[in-house]
Amino acid sequence: MTNDVFTFLVGGKAGEGVKKAGSVAAHIFSSLGRHVFQMDDYMSLIRGGHNFSVVSTSTRWLSSHYMKADLVVNFDKRSCETHMNNIADNGIMVYNSDEMGNIEGIGIPLSSEADKYPMKSLMYGVGAVAVLSSTIGFNKEQMNNIIKKQYPRGIEDNIKFAGSIYDMVKVGCENKFPLEHEDKERKIITGNESICLGALAGGLNVYYAYPMTPASTILHFLAKQAENFGLAVVHPESEIAVINLAIGSSFTGAKTMVGTSGGGFALMTEGYSLAGITEAPVLIVLSQRPGPATGVPTYTEQADLSFALTAGHGDFLRIVASPATVEEAFYLTAEMLDLMWKFQTPGILLTEKHLSESAMTVDIDPTRAKWAEPIFHKIGEYNRYLDTNDGISPMLFPPSSEVIKWNSYEHDEYGITTEDASMIAKMHEKRYKKTETLINYLKNKETVEIIYGEMPTNIFAYGSTYMSVLEALRYAKLNPTTIQPKYLSPLPVWELEDFKDQDNIVVEQSISGQFTKLLTEKAGINVRTTIKRYDGRPFDPIELSHQIKEVLN
Amino acid sequence: MTFETNAEITWCPGCGNYGIRTAFQNAVLELEKKGVKRENIVISSGIGCHAKLFDYVNLSGIYGLHGRNSSNAEGIKIANPELKVVTFSGDGNGLGEGLAHTIYAAKRNQDITLVLHNNNVYALTTGQFSSLTPPGWRGPSTPRGSFEIPFNAMSLMIEVGATFVARSYAGDIKHLTETLINAIEHEGFSFIEVLQPAMPYHKWEEYKDKIEFLSEEPKSKEKALEIAHKAHRFTIGIFHQEIREVYHKSLYGELNPVKSSISRKIRLEKINEILKY
Repeated sequence: MTNDVFTFLVGGKAGEGVKKAGSVAAHIFSSLGRHVFQMDDYMSLIRGGHNFSVVSTSTRWLSSHYMKADLVVNFDKRSCETHMNNIADNGIMVYNSDEMGNIEGIGIPLSSEADKYPMKSLMYGVGAVAVLSSTIGFNKEQMNNIIKKQYPRGIEDNIKFAGSIYDMVKVGCENKFPLEHEDKERKIITGNESICLGALAGGLNVYYAYPMTPASTILHFLAKQAENFGLAVVHPESEIAVINLAIGSSFTGAKTMVGTSGGGFALMTEGYSLAGITEAPVLIVLSQRPGPATGVPTYTEQADLSFALTAGHGDFLRIVASPATVEEAFYLTAEMLDLMWKFQTPGILLTEKHLSESAMTVDIDPTRAKWAEPIFHKIGEYNRYLDTNDGISPMLFPPSSEVIKWNSYEHDEYGITTEDASMIAKMHEKRYKKTETLINYLKNKETVEIIYGEMPTNIFAYGSTYMSVLEALRYAKLNPTTIQPKYLSPLPVWELEDFKDQDNIVVEQSISGQFTKLLTEKAGINVRTTIKRYDGRPFDPIELSHQIKEVLN
Repeated sequence: MTFETNAEITWCPGCGNYGIRTAFQNAVLELEKKGVKRENIVISSGIGCHAKLFDYVNLSGIYGLHGRNSSNAEGIKIANPELKVVTFSGDGNGLGEGLAHTIYAAKRNQDITLVLHNNNVYALTTGQFSSLTPPGWRGPSTPRGSFEIPFNAMSLMIEVGATFVARSYAGDIKHLTETLINAIEHEGFSFIEVLQPAMPYHKWEEYKDKIEFLSEEPKSKEKALEIAHKAHRFTIGIFHQEIREVYHKSLYGELNPVKSSISRKIRLEKINEILKY
């Protein structure tokens, strides 16, 4: 085992139940009270290709999968060849001997064994679970209980098949990596599920999205929960429609969220600006994948940061925040929804495929979630854009005997179009006041996570990359100070002041170093070097720890 | 409460938009007599000469982006279906930049009314040809004359699923008022094309003599399409009406997402249930 972590990797073609096998493994580990991190790597196709799922588990909290696995199960030749180098020292590889000649590892005739059953290759996942069960020292009864629960279609065949695979691998695998039990069984959820639950806790009423990986599973989860939570969940004709529908809904007082990736957000920028001038509260989940353009749909990157910070024409308040972990995604989504309503402006919850689609064991306390609530107009004549000391005009929603006018043109306080020079300046100033109000508000909040270490170097990261950094440091037993700004706009420079001229390094997933630039330009942080990854893959903690060691003094 | 706002009216003298505004005001007053609360009528508009109406009518709503007004209207209706939403559009706005949104609102049978001010031209941007301009238009973007064939708004909207499709005329306040009332009362997506001269580009005379009334309302969608294809573009009347379940009811039945929003307490219970191991 790598350190105190056990890792299981399963690979095969799309349609062979690779991801499902990974999820079942994750459930087995969490049922032992252990912490789990699951990362799925898949191609943009429906059948064939090569998919794999990596599940790491430990008795302590862990924040990454490891690409060196203690048990690798490969369903086909391509998987075998791909994962040759992913076997940890003393690790085991189980491969499909019907597809591969004699190689190092444990060959089992997976295809010919599965061909005996009507479900054929759909049973490979069951086989992987059988191999894992043997390896971690489960007896057949324990294994069968899991299979009954997780593979309810054709239970008898599944159990029979699992039994024969279990017997086949006995010699090389049995009880090779017994797993210690830990304190608490925890739920495993993905980053996107956590975002959904956070939004629901914060008061979400309406969700709009056009399907786009890696944000689509938000749409799917919320569509499934629509009835349970009294939501309207709509998949309209385009992202342009999405953002304008959202503004329409927020006009009625409905807490509204939309979700997309870079290309979809590009289409939303016109409406993003409309939300800016109409002061419409709309939360946008922007889950990054490698760009430009179509880029690499099912992989990860952090190269939309600069775009997210400046998108939309004209001057208006943009709030951008990025969660580092699946748990933080829950709280930060609710907090962002609340900020949208408190400050009546659009904002972005910026994340990446790596957080959106990876799954972790979580301890979430829903009562800690913020509840979105605007400042309401109380009594008397209503002016939608009333000029107030803090720039925030109280809200009112239809139906109302007062008239409520939201206007994309520059407008007067009532909401009527204006071209008057003094009114134009006044409204700019009114909206601009909200920036200062927001900064004062955020100064009393936890906007940056700082873990002080003993080494004289600071490591900056944001989003899921921060998780990779934490795991790398834990693996290598290094303890520099780590700094994760949750808010990227406004960047909490007040929290970063002390670090300016210290020894700083940045870890991020962008070739041009967009996060480094932000820290340098906005906070005056002196950055000695940036560790970058831009091949679509998340950092591996072991590789990253080597890179960090190289640059640490 | 007055229907007027304190906005300075900047439509050209004699513009067809005045007629549309008068007819809309009449329709709202009539609907009030029938028991519809004025505060339940909400409007949205795109950008163009048509959209100025937003500033000149003292009703709540969203003055949106060019072409995106029907999405704003749909968003309002989806979140709070008790509101009656009327969205105003120009021919360039609704059938050019916003074509997809117009068509999809009809496809979904969204329960809103779209009033398309058709002046056959991009008036506010100085006279370029629009989606409905007949070929040969010498505008600043087509100095040698436009050569694209225009859409037929009537057959187009019937085909894509609008459940109330009519054409009216800004010079016939009575007809337009009645048509607006029918459209707003219709449960489903209502589309009214309003023929409307824009003063620098047309004369009322070009319209007056050509206006014809549909002899009778077609009985089926097939017949409606046939008539929409045959009728010349100055034919006014209701081309098509049908009953089809409206979008928000198909989506969530009798729910009202904003009015019946679930309390924090119940939400947290439900979330705990989901997060239970």
